[in-house]
Amino acid sequence: MTLSDVGEARVNGYLFVLQRSLKTFLPADSVRDAVREIESHLRDRIAAADGAPNEREALERILAELGPPLRVAQAYSAERTIDEAVTTGRFVAIVRAVWHLAVSTVVGFFAALCLFIGYVVSVATLLMAGLKPIFPNNVGIQFVNGVPIGPAAEFPVPAGIDLRGGYWVIPLFAIAGLAGLVLTQWCARKYLAWWRSRR
Amino acid sequence: MSHETWQEQIRRGTLDLAILLSVSSGPRYGLAIIQHLEAFTDLVVAEGTIYPILGRLTREGLLASTWVEDEAPHPRKYYALTRAGTRRLAEMSTAWREYVRKIDRLMAASERGR
Repeated sequence: MTLSDVGEARVNGYLFVLQRSLKTFLPADSVRDAVREIESHLRDRIAAADGAPNEREALERILAELGPPLRVAQAYSAERTIDEAVTTGRFVAIVRAVWHLAVSTVVGFFAALCLFIGYVVSVATLLMAGLKPIFPNNVGIQFVNGVPIGPAAEFPVPAGIDLRGGYWVIPLFAIAGLAGLVLTQWCARKYLAWWRSRR
Repeated sequence: MSHETWQEQIRRGTLDLAILLSVSSGPRYGLAIIQHLEAFTDLVVAEGTIYPILGRLTREGLLASTWVEDEAPHPRKYYALTRAGTRRLAEMSTAWREYVRKIDRLMAASERGR
């Protein structure tokens, strides 16, 4: 089947949307390769549809069998980002994969929320270790009714807030922050490995 | 778990094996792999989702890919099993046969017990 200008525009539109979606998470050379392969698939299918009475119907069927461009891009994303994150364990790759799952599934969203809290709390604890020598009276362990609640930094310290701890909290916060980061990163990797095993 | 979810899990779990089997007799391009799978199975739900799997199997070193420019009016990307892919296919085939045999035995025992 030789496509009319309208048919060509439909194919180019499909490939354009696919390319735009892939660009958000794949390197440029991988995007080019993937789009080229999908176009090759479409050209083969179109050539095999010789004799179809209605070009529009035949083309729409071919595109439907291929799947919507966003779904195809999502399949690339799932294969690529999660694999890269689990295999390399790199922070950026893990964040990218967690983000991808967060915006595409409900479970992924809540998992990303938990991991985000883990990272933020860990970084904040590390930050407090660094702030303690500069603001010794504003950083410490907060106590409520004599019970330690956790590390805290208050600027200024409000009345009624009980901040305790000398310089010895610095190594404590540093170790706790680092341990939190390592634990969150480990959880993120385990979560992505679990996700990969489900596909 | 619903019947559909269970079937989907089986489909996903066997797709890698099915793709490796499709290229075991010689290199094939994407659409030819899809047509081969469609001829023997109903594993292909959306054709476009096969290509990312081919990409992953290539990154894992189980498949090697080459663009062939002069075979058709447009270029085609051919996939072939690598040595690692051949080894993995043998392992997967053995594991699959073993698995099916055990489930068959279990089903036979269950039917005898009825």
